Amino acid sequence: MGMFSVLDISAAGMDVQQARLAAASANLANASSTSKPGAPVYKPVSVVVHSVPVSAAGGLPRPVVTGTAELDVPAHLVYDPGHPDADERGFVALPGTDPISSMLELISISRGYEANLRAFDVSRDLMQKTLDLGNRR
Amino acid sequence: MFEAAPIFSLLSHALDNAALRQAVHTTNIANAGVDGFHRLDLVFDTQLRALASSADEGAREPSWVGTQPRIVATNDAVRLDQEMALMAKDSVRYQALLGAFDRTTGLLRLAIHEGKGA
Repeated sequence: MGMFSVLDISAAGMDVQQARLAAASANLANASSTSKPGAPVYKPVSVVVHSVPVSAAGGLPRPVVTGTAELDVPAHLVYDPGHPDADERGFVALPGTDPISSMLELISISRGYEANLRAFDVSRDLMQKTLDLGNRR
Repeated sequence: MFEAAPIFSLLSHALDNAALRQAVHTTNIANAGVDGFHRLDLVFDTQLRALASSADEGAREPSWVGTQPRIVATNDAVRLDQEMALMAKDSVRYQALLGAFDRTTGLLRLAIHEGKGA
């Protein structure tokens, strides 16, 4: 394992958290998006992450975002007959995003990013201290 | 007489393993929450204990210096708080080893300058 691949692993961890942040933000931003009756309603998305070895010969796995998946949650019907997207019964279909779950997800993402950043800092600090050994008089 | 070679060999080996520990912590933190990922761990101390108990008394270099730790997947999920605490502990251990390395180098430097300082 190369000296710097440990930094790459932390960077991959931060990339994953950023992708999760983008998905959670999109879900929250579209929580009130409506569409014309019969048209598909926005479905919350989630990132798909897999662990893959750093090298073909094995090594420590790093997380990689392999895609996004739409969550199969039913739309939320709200009675609002005055809404331009209301159906003939007066109901408007809203995405099945749960704002509380999304907020908790944001907290989890924030903690995950901070942990990866801290691990990056510690690894870099230890490398720097090791390199400084030869510079002392 | 002060012999530095076995000490450097021992410290170098310990530093390699401490660096590997840091890499394992980093991997666990980066992969926390990934489906199917189980916390990784090093089986090194277990080997050490087993070998240390049977080490030769008169050996110039401890017989476990050549042992290679193995990275194994446990059955546990990653807990970020636990992993951060372990990383902090192992980081201090790594710095202690660096300090020992530095002091050994300092002794050699003192000997080279015939005790007159660097």
